[in-house]
Amino acid sequence: MSISRTPLDVTISVWKALFLREALTRLSAGRSAWLWLLLEPVAHVAFLMIIFSTIRQRVLPGVEFALFLAIGVIGFHLFKNSAQRSIGAISANMALFAYRQGKPIDSVLVRIFLEGVIQLFVGVSLLSIMALFGFDVLPNDPLRAITAWMLLWLFGAGLGLMLSVGATLVPEIGKIANLTFTPLYFISGVFFAPFMMPAVIQEYLILNPIIHGLEGLRSAFFRGYPNIAGISLSYLAVFSLLTVFFGLLLHMRFSNKLVTH
Amino acid sequence: MISLREVYKRYRTDHGLGKWVLQGVTINIPRQCNVGLIGQNGAGKSTLLRIIGGIDKPTRGSIERRCRVSWPLGLGGGLQGSLTGKQNAKFVCRLHGHEDSLRDKLAFIRDFSELGDAFDEPVKTYSSGMQARLKFALSLAFDFDVYLVDELTAVGDAAFKKKSRQAFQGLADHAGLVMVTHDEKSLREFCQAGIWLHQGNAYWFDRIDDAIQSYKESMAS
Repeated sequence: MSISRTPLDVTISVWKALFLREALTRLSAGRSAWLWLLLEPVAHVAFLMIIFSTIRQRVLPGVEFALFLAIGVIGFHLFKNSAQRSIGAISANMALFAYRQGKPIDSVLVRIFLEGVIQLFVGVSLLSIMALFGFDVLPNDPLRAITAWMLLWLFGAGLGLMLSVGATLVPEIGKIANLTFTPLYFISGVFFAPFMMPAVIQEYLILNPIIHGLEGLRSAFFRGYPNIAGISLSYLAVFSLLTVFFGLLLHMRFSNKLVTH
Repeated sequence: MISLREVYKRYRTDHGLGKWVLQGVTINIPRQCNVGLIGQNGAGKSTLLRIIGGIDKPTRGSIERRCRVSWPLGLGGGLQGSLTGKQNAKFVCRLHGHEDSLRDKLAFIRDFSELGDAFDEPVKTYSSGMQARLKFALSLAFDFDVYLVDELTAVGDAAFKKKSRQAFQGLADHAGLVMVTHDEKSLREFCQAGIWLHQGNAYWFDRIDDAIQSYKESMAS
Protein backbone atom coordinates (compact mmCIF):
# COMPACT_ATOMS: atom_id res chain seq x y z
CA MET A 1 0.00 0.00 0.00
CA SER A 2 2.51 2.60 1.05
CA ILE A 3 5.13 2.63 -1.66
CA SER A 4 7.46 5.30 -0.44
CA ARG A 5 9.23 7.31 -3.07
CA THR A 6 12.83 8.31 -2.62
CA PRO A 7 13.53 12.03 -2.15
CA LEU A 8 15.04 12.07 -5.63
CA ASP A 9 11.87 10.59 -7.16
CA VAL A 10 9.80 13.21 -5.42
CA THR A 11 12.01 16.07 -6.53
CA ILE A 12 12.05 14.89 -10.12
CA SER A 13 8.29 14.59 -10.28
CA VAL A 14 7.97 18.05 -8.71
CA TRP A 15 10.29 19.53 -11.32
CA LYS A 16 8.47 17.78 -14.11
CA ALA A 17 5.07 18.94 -12.91
CA LEU A 18 6.31 22.48 -12.33
CA PHE A 19 8.13 22.67 -15.63
CA LEU A 20 5.06 21.70 -17.60
CA ARG A 21 2.95 24.16 -15.66
CA GLU A 22 5.42 27.03 -16.01
CA ALA A 23 5.96 26.33 -19.69
CA LEU A 24 2.22 26.30 -20.23
CA THR A 25 1.62 29.63 -18.52
CA ARG A 26 4.67 31.21 -20.14
CA LEU A 27 3.79 30.11 -23.67
CA SER A 28 0.03 30.50 -23.51
CA ALA A 29 -0.17 33.79 -21.62
CA GLY A 30 -2.21 35.97 -23.93
CA ARG A 31 -2.54 35.68 -27.66
CA SER A 32 0.38 33.91 -29.37
CA ALA A 33 2.78 34.51 -26.51
CA TRP A 34 5.28 32.18 -28.14
CA LEU A 35 5.44 34.43 -31.20
CA TRP A 36 6.24 37.45 -29.06
CA LEU A 37 9.14 35.60 -27.48
CA LEU A 38 10.72 35.54 -30.91
CA LEU A 39 9.52 38.93 -32.11
CA GLU A 40 10.89 40.75 -29.10
CA PRO A 41 14.60 40.21 -29.82
CA VAL A 42 13.99 40.65 -33.56
CA ALA A 43 12.36 44.00 -32.92
CA HIS A 44 15.19 44.87 -30.59
CA VAL A 45 17.86 44.19 -33.17
CA ALA A 46 15.92 45.94 -35.93
CA PHE A 47 15.42 49.00 -33.74
CA LEU A 48 19.07 49.21 -32.76
CA MET A 49 20.08 48.71 -36.40
CA ILE A 50 18.02 51.67 -37.50
CA ILE A 51 19.42 53.92 -34.82
CA PHE A 52 23.04 52.98 -35.28
CA SER A 53 23.11 52.82 -39.04
CA THR A 54 22.05 56.46 -39.10
CA ILE A 55 24.19 57.91 -36.34
CA ARG A 56 27.26 55.79 -36.58
CA GLN A 57 29.23 55.05 -39.71
CA ARG A 58 32.24 53.35 -38.22
CA VAL A 59 32.47 49.79 -39.40
CA LEU A 60 33.87 47.07 -37.22
CA PRO A 61 36.52 45.09 -39.09
CA GLY A 62 35.28 41.64 -40.07
CA VAL A 63 32.09 42.00 -38.08
CA GLU A 64 28.54 42.10 -39.37
CA PHE A 65 26.86 44.76 -37.31
CA ALA A 66 23.44 43.06 -37.31
CA LEU A 67 24.93 39.80 -36.07
CA PHE A 68 26.99 41.73 -33.53
CA LEU A 69 23.77 43.25 -32.18
CA ALA A 70 21.85 39.98 -32.30
CA ILE A 71 24.46 38.20 -30.20
CA GLY A 72 24.46 41.04 -27.69
CA VAL A 73 20.68 41.08 -27.41
CA ILE A 74 20.36 37.29 -27.12
CA GLY A 75 23.15 37.04 -24.57
CA PHE A 76 21.84 39.85 -22.44
CA HIS A 77 18.27 38.58 -22.56
CA LEU A 78 19.45 35.16 -21.47
CA PHE A 79 21.06 36.68 -18.41
CA LYS A 80 18.30 39.17 -17.69
CA ASN A 81 15.35 36.83 -18.09
CA SER A 82 16.91 34.12 -15.94
CA ALA A 83 17.48 36.61 -13.17
CA GLN A 84 14.31 38.65 -13.57
CA ARG A 85 11.82 35.81 -13.96
CA SER A 86 13.19 34.20 -10.81
CA ILE A 87 12.22 37.20 -8.72
CA GLY A 88 8.52 36.40 -8.99
CA ALA A 89 8.89 32.62 -9.00
CA ILE A 90 8.10 32.06 -5.35
CA SER A 91 5.16 34.41 -5.02
CA ALA A 92 3.64 33.10 -8.26
CA ASN A 93 3.75 29.57 -6.92
CA MET A 94 2.44 30.23 -3.41
CA ALA A 95 -0.53 27.96 -4.12
CA LEU A 96 1.86 25.11 -4.80
CA PHE A 97 3.29 25.14 -1.32
CA ALA A 98 0.02 23.74 -0.01
CA TYR A 99 1.61 20.45 -1.07
CA ARG A 100 4.66 19.62 0.97
CA GLN A 101 6.51 18.09 -1.99
CA GLY A 102 7.19 21.48 -3.55
CA LYS A 103 9.81 23.75 -2.07
CA PRO A 104 10.44 27.41 -2.97
CA ILE A 105 13.76 26.58 -4.58
CA ASP A 106 12.05 24.15 -6.96
CA SER A 107 9.94 26.92 -8.45
CA VAL A 108 13.02 29.11 -8.96
CA LEU A 109 15.19 26.37 -10.46
CA VAL A 110 12.43 25.33 -12.83
CA ARG A 111 11.93 28.90 -14.03
CA ILE A 112 15.65 29.32 -14.62
CA PHE A 113 15.78 26.09 -16.59
CA LEU A 114 12.70 27.03 -18.61
CA GLU A 115 14.17 30.44 -19.39
CA GLY A 116 17.38 28.80 -20.58
CA VAL A 117 15.44 26.48 -22.87
CA ILE A 118 13.33 29.32 -24.24
CA GLN A 119 16.29 31.61 -24.86
CA LEU A 120 18.21 28.80 -26.53
CA PHE A 121 15.27 28.25 -28.82
CA VAL A 122 14.92 31.97 -29.49
CA GLY A 123 18.63 32.37 -30.15
CA VAL A 124 18.82 29.45 -32.54
CA SER A 125 15.71 30.64 -34.39
CA LEU A 126 17.04 34.16 -34.69
CA LEU A 127 20.38 32.99 -36.01
CA SER A 128 18.67 30.62 -38.43
CA ILE A 129 16.54 33.44 -39.78
CA MET A 130 19.66 35.56 -40.21
CA ALA A 131 21.35 32.68 -42.01
CA LEU A 132 18.47 32.71 -44.50
CA PHE A 133 19.28 36.36 -45.15
CA GLY A 134 22.84 35.44 -46.04
CA PHE A 135 24.65 36.11 -42.77
CA ASP A 136 27.46 33.82 -41.78
CA VAL A 137 26.07 32.80 -38.41
CA LEU A 138 28.18 29.76 -37.58
CA PRO A 139 30.53 30.44 -34.67
CA ASN A 140 34.21 30.31 -35.35
CA ASP A 141 34.85 28.68 -31.97
CA PRO A 142 31.70 26.73 -30.99
CA LEU A 143 33.06 25.50 -27.68
CA ARG A 144 33.82 29.02 -26.53
CA ALA A 145 30.36 30.12 -27.66
CA ILE A 146 28.70 27.36 -25.62
CA THR A 147 30.84 28.17 -22.59
CA ALA A 148 30.03 31.86 -22.75
CA TRP A 149 26.34 31.10 -23.22
CA MET A 150 26.26 28.72 -20.25
CA LEU A 151 28.12 31.17 -18.04
CA LEU A 152 25.76 34.04 -18.87
CA TRP A 153 22.88 31.72 -18.01
CA LEU A 154 24.52 30.57 -14.78
CA PHE A 155 25.21 34.14 -13.72
CA GLY A 156 21.56 35.01 -14.33
CA ALA A 157 20.59 31.87 -12.42
CA GLY A 158 22.79 32.73 -9.46
CA LEU A 159 21.52 36.26 -9.30
CA GLY A 160 17.97 34.95 -9.69
CA LEU A 161 18.42 32.51 -6.82
CA MET A 162 19.65 35.30 -4.57
CA LEU A 163 17.03 37.82 -5.67
CA SER A 164 14.18 35.32 -5.33
CA VAL A 165 14.92 34.96 -1.63
CA GLY A 166 15.61 38.65 -1.16
CA ALA A 167 12.50 39.81 -2.99
CA THR A 168 10.23 37.39 -1.15
CA LEU A 169 11.47 38.45 2.27
CA VAL A 170 11.91 42.16 1.43
CA PRO A 171 9.72 43.15 -1.57
CA GLU A 172 11.71 46.37 -2.09
CA ILE A 173 14.73 44.33 -3.17
CA GLY A 174 12.71 42.97 -6.09
CA LYS A 175 11.61 46.44 -7.14
CA ILE A 176 15.12 47.87 -7.01
CA ALA A 177 16.51 44.87 -8.90
CA ASN A 178 13.91 45.33 -11.63
CA LEU A 179 14.94 48.98 -11.96
CA THR A 180 18.60 48.04 -12.28
CA PHE A 181 18.21 45.85 -15.35
CA THR A 182 17.68 48.80 -17.70
CA PRO A 183 20.87 50.71 -16.81
CA LEU A 184 22.67 47.38 -16.84
CA TYR A 185 21.56 46.97 -20.45
CA PHE A 186 23.32 50.19 -21.38
CA ILE A 187 26.63 49.44 -19.73
CA SER A 188 26.89 45.77 -20.71
CA GLY A 189 28.01 46.35 -24.28
CA VAL A 190 24.85 45.07 -25.91
CA PHE A 191 25.02 47.66 -28.67
CA PHE A 192 28.60 48.91 -28.55
CA ALA A 193 31.97 47.27 -28.75
CA PRO A 194 34.16 47.98 -25.72
CA PHE A 195 37.27 48.27 -27.88
CA MET A 196 35.80 51.37 -29.50
CA MET A 197 35.52 53.06 -26.14
CA PRO A 198 38.25 55.28 -24.65
CA ALA A 199 40.71 53.46 -22.42
CA VAL A 200 39.49 55.31 -19.32
CA ILE A 201 35.99 53.94 -19.80
CA GLN A 202 37.22 50.47 -20.68
CA GLU A 203 38.79 50.20 -17.25
CA TYR A 204 35.40 50.55 -15.64
CA LEU A 205 33.48 48.58 -18.23
CA ILE A 206 35.40 45.39 -17.62
CA LEU A 207 34.35 45.36 -13.98
CA ASN A 208 30.93 44.27 -15.22
CA PRO A 209 30.88 40.48 -15.56
CA ILE A 210 28.18 40.53 -18.25
CA ILE A 211 30.49 42.32 -20.67
CA HIS A 212 32.95 39.45 -20.32
CA GLY A 213 30.21 37.03 -21.34
CA LEU A 214 28.98 39.05 -24.31
CA GLU A 215 32.48 39.80 -25.57
CA GLY A 216 33.42 36.17 -25.07
CA LEU A 217 30.40 35.17 -27.12
CA ARG A 218 31.30 37.60 -29.91
CA SER A 219 34.94 36.59 -30.07
CA ALA A 220 33.69 33.01 -30.41
CA PHE A 221 31.55 33.99 -33.38
CA PHE A 222 33.85 36.40 -35.25
CA ARG A 223 37.33 35.38 -36.25
CA GLY A 224 39.86 37.94 -35.06
CA TYR A 225 37.37 39.93 -33.00
CA PRO A 226 39.37 42.58 -31.13
CA ASN A 227 38.70 41.85 -27.46
CA ILE A 228 40.01 44.49 -25.11
CA ALA A 229 42.65 43.56 -22.57
CA GLY A 230 41.26 41.88 -19.47
CA ILE A 231 38.26 40.19 -21.04
CA SER A 232 38.11 36.62 -19.82
CA LEU A 233 35.38 34.08 -19.32
CA SER A 234 36.99 33.01 -16.05
CA TYR A 235 36.05 36.37 -14.57
CA LEU A 236 32.39 35.70 -15.38
CA ALA A 237 32.75 32.10 -14.20
CA VAL A 238 33.88 33.27 -10.77
CA PHE A 239 30.88 35.56 -10.51
CA SER A 240 28.54 32.79 -11.70
CA LEU A 241 29.80 30.25 -9.19
CA LEU A 242 29.77 32.74 -6.34
CA THR A 243 26.23 33.91 -7.01
CA VAL A 244 24.94 30.35 -7.46
CA PHE A 245 26.67 29.34 -4.25
CA PHE A 246 25.26 32.21 -2.23
CA GLY A 247 21.87 31.83 -3.89
CA LEU A 248 21.66 28.20 -2.80
CA LEU A 249 22.93 29.14 0.63
CA LEU A 250 20.20 31.77 1.03
CA HIS A 251 17.59 29.25 -0.03
CA MET A 252 18.83 26.76 2.56
CA ARG A 253 18.97 29.35 5.28
CA PHE A 254 15.53 30.84 4.64
CA SER A 255 13.63 27.86 3.21
CA ASN A 256 11.14 27.91 6.10
CA LYS A 257 10.64 31.64 6.15
CA LEU A 258 9.85 31.81 2.45
CA VAL A 259 6.61 29.86 2.83
CA THR A 260 5.44 30.84 6.29
CA HIS A 261 4.67 34.50 6.43
CA MET B 1 2.85 5.94 11.86
CA ILE B 2 3.43 9.64 12.34
CA SER B 3 5.59 10.59 15.27
CA LEU B 4 6.11 14.06 16.64
CA ARG B 5 8.86 14.60 19.15
CA GLU B 6 9.06 17.68 21.36
CA VAL B 7 7.44 19.91 18.77
CA TYR B 8 7.50 23.62 19.59
CA LYS B 9 6.02 26.26 17.34
CA ARG B 10 5.75 29.98 17.40
CA TYR B 11 5.24 32.45 14.60
CA ARG B 12 6.99 35.68 13.83
CA THR B 13 4.44 38.46 13.95
CA ASP B 14 4.71 42.07 12.81
CA HIS B 15 5.92 43.02 16.25
CA GLY B 16 8.54 40.45 17.04
CA LEU B 17 8.12 36.87 18.09
CA GLY B 18 4.66 35.62 18.91
CA LYS B 19 3.53 33.42 21.77
CA TRP B 20 4.40 29.74 21.76
CA VAL B 21 1.49 28.02 20.05
CA LEU B 22 2.78 24.50 20.67
CA GLN B 23 5.00 23.74 23.62
CA GLY B 24 6.64 20.37 23.41
CA VAL B 25 4.04 18.21 21.69
CA THR B 26 5.14 14.56 21.68
CA ILE B 27 2.66 12.22 20.10
CA ASN B 28 2.52 9.08 17.99
CA ILE B 29 -0.34 8.66 15.57
CA PRO B 30 -0.78 5.07 14.35
CA ARG B 31 -1.46 4.60 10.66
CA GLN B 32 -4.87 2.95 10.80
CA CYS B 33 -6.44 5.22 13.33
CA ASN B 34 -9.03 7.94 13.05
CA VAL B 35 -8.13 10.78 15.33
CA GLY B 36 -10.10 13.88 16.14
CA LEU B 37 -8.09 16.98 16.98
CA ILE B 38 -9.97 19.25 19.37
CA GLY B 39 -9.31 22.37 21.34
CA GLN B 40 -10.37 25.97 21.71
CA ASN B 41 -10.10 28.50 18.90
CA GLY B 42 -6.46 29.44 18.59
CA ALA B 43 -5.25 26.39 20.50
CA GLY B 44 -3.06 25.47 17.54
CA LYS B 45 -5.15 22.77 15.86
CA SER B 46 -4.60 23.99 12.34
CA THR B 47 -0.95 24.73 13.10
CA LEU B 48 -0.45 21.16 14.30
CA LEU B 49 -2.23 19.84 11.22
CA ARG B 50 -0.02 21.93 8.94
CA ILE B 51 3.08 20.64 10.72
CA ILE B 52 1.89 17.04 10.38
CA GLY B 53 1.18 17.73 6.72
CA GLY B 54 4.69 19.05 6.25
CA ILE B 55 3.75 22.44 4.86
CA ASP B 56 4.95 24.16 8.00
CA LYS B 57 8.08 23.41 9.97
CA PRO B 58 8.26 23.27 13.76
CA THR B 59 10.40 25.94 15.41
CA ARG B 60 12.00 23.18 17.44
CA GLY B 61 11.53 19.44 17.60
CA SER B 62 11.15 16.86 14.88
CA ILE B 63 8.49 15.01 12.97
CA GLU B 64 8.66 11.75 11.09
CA ARG B 65 6.14 10.40 8.61
CA ARG B 66 6.49 6.70 7.91
CA CYS B 67 3.47 6.45 5.62
CA ARG B 68 1.85 8.42 2.83
CA VAL B 69 0.25 11.48 4.37
CA SER B 70 -2.10 13.71 2.40
CA TRP B 71 -1.88 17.48 2.24
CA PRO B 72 -4.21 19.18 4.73
CA LEU B 73 -7.62 19.07 3.06
CA GLY B 74 -9.92 21.99 3.63
CA LEU B 75 -7.13 24.52 4.09
CA GLY B 76 -6.82 27.31 1.55
CA GLY B 77 -4.51 27.29 -1.45
CA GLY B 78 -3.52 24.45 -3.70
CA LEU B 79 -5.14 25.71 -6.90
CA GLN B 80 -3.64 28.07 -9.46
CA GLY B 81 -6.28 30.53 -10.62
CA SER B 82 -5.01 31.13 -14.13
CA LEU B 83 -4.96 27.42 -14.97
CA THR B 84 -8.00 25.31 -15.74
CA GLY B 85 -9.35 22.71 -13.34
CA LYS B 86 -7.92 20.02 -15.56
CA GLN B 87 -4.47 21.59 -15.69
CA ASN B 88 -4.50 21.95 -11.94
CA ALA B 89 -5.51 18.34 -11.55
CA LYS B 90 -2.75 17.22 -13.92
CA PHE B 91 -0.26 19.23 -11.94
CA VAL B 92 -1.24 17.66 -8.63
CA CYS B 93 -1.18 14.16 -10.17
CA ARG B 94 2.31 14.71 -11.52
CA LEU B 95 3.43 16.16 -8.21
CA HIS B 96 2.41 12.94 -6.52
CA GLY B 97 4.13 10.80 -9.13
CA HIS B 98 1.04 9.54 -10.93
CA GLU B 99 2.22 10.29 -14.42
CA ASP B 100 1.26 6.79 -15.62
CA SER B 101 -2.30 6.75 -14.38
CA LEU B 102 -2.96 10.36 -15.33
CA ARG B 103 -5.92 9.58 -17.60
CA ASP B 104 -7.78 7.52 -15.02
CA LYS B 105 -7.17 10.05 -12.30
CA LEU B 106 -8.36 12.94 -14.48
CA ALA B 107 -11.47 11.01 -15.47
CA PHE B 108 -12.21 10.30 -11.83
CA ILE B 109 -11.65 13.90 -10.73
CA ARG B 110 -13.78 15.30 -13.53
CA ASP B 111 -16.49 12.80 -12.73
CA PHE B 112 -16.54 13.18 -8.98
CA SER B 113 -16.29 16.96 -8.90
CA GLU B 114 -19.32 17.18 -11.27
CA LEU B 115 -17.73 20.22 -12.88
CA GLY B 116 -18.63 19.16 -16.41
CA ASP B 117 -17.42 21.65 -19.02
CA ALA B 118 -16.19 23.98 -16.30
CA PHE B 119 -13.35 21.50 -15.78
CA ASP B 120 -11.69 23.10 -18.81
CA GLU B 121 -12.22 26.67 -17.60
CA PRO B 122 -9.70 28.62 -15.48
CA VAL B 123 -10.12 28.02 -11.77
CA LYS B 124 -10.43 31.75 -11.09
CA THR B 125 -13.83 31.67 -12.79
CA TYR B 126 -15.07 29.03 -10.32
CA SER B 127 -17.43 29.73 -7.46
CA SER B 128 -16.16 28.82 -4.02
CA GLY B 129 -18.37 25.74 -4.04
CA MET B 130 -16.93 24.57 -7.35
CA GLN B 131 -13.39 25.09 -6.05
CA ALA B 132 -14.17 23.10 -2.94
CA ARG B 133 -15.63 20.29 -5.01
CA LEU B 134 -12.53 20.18 -7.21
CA LYS B 135 -10.26 20.10 -4.19
CA PHE B 136 -12.27 17.35 -2.57
CA ALA B 137 -12.23 15.27 -5.75
CA LEU B 138 -8.47 15.81 -5.99
CA SER B 139 -7.89 14.52 -2.49
CA LEU B 140 -9.96 11.41 -3.18
CA ALA B 141 -7.98 10.59 -6.30
CA PHE B 142 -4.91 9.43 -4.39
CA ASP B 143 -4.46 6.54 -1.98
CA PHE B 144 -3.01 8.06 1.12
CA ASP B 145 -2.50 6.11 4.31
CA VAL B 146 -3.48 9.04 6.45
CA TYR B 147 -5.72 11.94 5.46
CA LEU B 148 -5.46 15.30 7.17
CA VAL B 149 -8.75 17.13 7.27
CA ASP B 150 -9.53 20.65 8.44
CA GLU B 151 -13.27 21.39 8.76
CA LEU B 152 -14.20 19.77 5.52
CA THR B 153 -17.53 18.07 6.00
CA ALA B 154 -19.85 20.78 4.69
CA VAL B 155 -19.17 21.40 1.02
CA GLY B 156 -21.45 21.96 -1.97
CA ASP B 157 -25.17 21.46 -2.37
CA ALA B 158 -27.30 18.82 -0.66
CA ALA B 159 -26.67 16.08 -3.23
CA PHE B 160 -22.96 16.66 -3.28
CA LYS B 161 -22.87 16.80 0.50
CA LYS B 162 -24.45 13.37 0.65
CA LYS B 163 -22.02 11.99 -1.88
CA SER B 164 -18.99 13.50 -0.17
CA ARG B 165 -20.13 12.22 3.17
CA GLN B 166 -20.29 8.70 1.76
CA ALA B 167 -16.90 9.07 0.16
CA PHE B 168 -15.58 10.41 3.41
CA GLN B 169 -16.97 7.45 5.30
CA GLY B 170 -15.18 5.22 2.80
CA LEU B 171 -11.93 7.05 3.52
CA ALA B 172 -12.43 6.71 7.24
CA ASP B 173 -12.91 2.97 6.80
CA HIS B 174 -9.84 2.17 4.75
CA ALA B 175 -7.34 4.85 5.77
CA GLY B 176 -6.31 6.82 8.80
CA LEU B 177 -7.73 10.25 9.50
CA VAL B 178 -6.54 13.23 11.47
CA MET B 179 -9.47 15.55 11.64
CA VAL B 180 -9.97 19.06 12.98
CA THR B 181 -13.56 20.06 13.56
CA HIS B 182 -15.81 21.74 16.08
CA ASP B 183 -18.69 19.53 15.04
CA GLU B 184 -19.14 16.95 17.79
CA LYS B 185 -21.39 14.79 15.66
CA SER B 186 -18.81 14.24 12.93
CA LEU B 187 -16.13 13.65 15.54
CA ARG B 188 -18.16 10.84 17.10
CA GLU B 189 -19.12 9.50 13.69
CA PHE B 190 -15.67 9.31 12.13
CA CYS B 191 -13.13 9.16 14.94
CA GLN B 192 -12.19 6.63 17.56
CA ALA B 193 -9.29 8.35 19.28
CA GLY B 194 -8.82 11.99 20.15
CA ILE B 195 -6.09 14.53 20.71
CA TRP B 196 -6.94 17.43 22.95
CA LEU B 197 -4.83 20.54 22.49
CA HIS B 198 -4.70 22.68 25.58
CA GLN B 199 -2.30 25.51 26.41
CA GLY B 200 0.32 24.35 23.96
CA ASN B 201 0.26 20.73 25.07
CA ALA B 202 -1.33 17.74 23.38
CA TYR B 203 -3.11 15.00 25.29
CA TRP B 204 -3.90 11.65 23.69
CA PHE B 205 -7.15 9.81 24.43
CA ASP B 206 -7.85 6.34 23.16
CA ARG B 207 -11.55 7.18 23.05
CA ILE B 208 -12.86 10.30 21.40
CA ASP B 209 -15.59 10.64 24.04
CA ASP B 210 -12.99 11.07 26.78
CA ALA B 211 -11.25 13.75 24.74
CA ILE B 212 -14.50 15.64 24.21
CA GLN B 213 -15.26 15.27 27.90
CA SER B 214 -11.93 16.79 28.97
CA TYR B 215 -12.31 19.58 26.46
CA LYS B 216 -15.76 20.42 27.76
CA GLU B 217 -14.65 20.34 31.37
CA SER B 218 -11.85 22.77 30.63
CA MET B 219 -14.33 25.09 28.94
CA ALA B 220 -16.69 24.97 31.89
CA SER B 221 -14.11 25.68 34.55
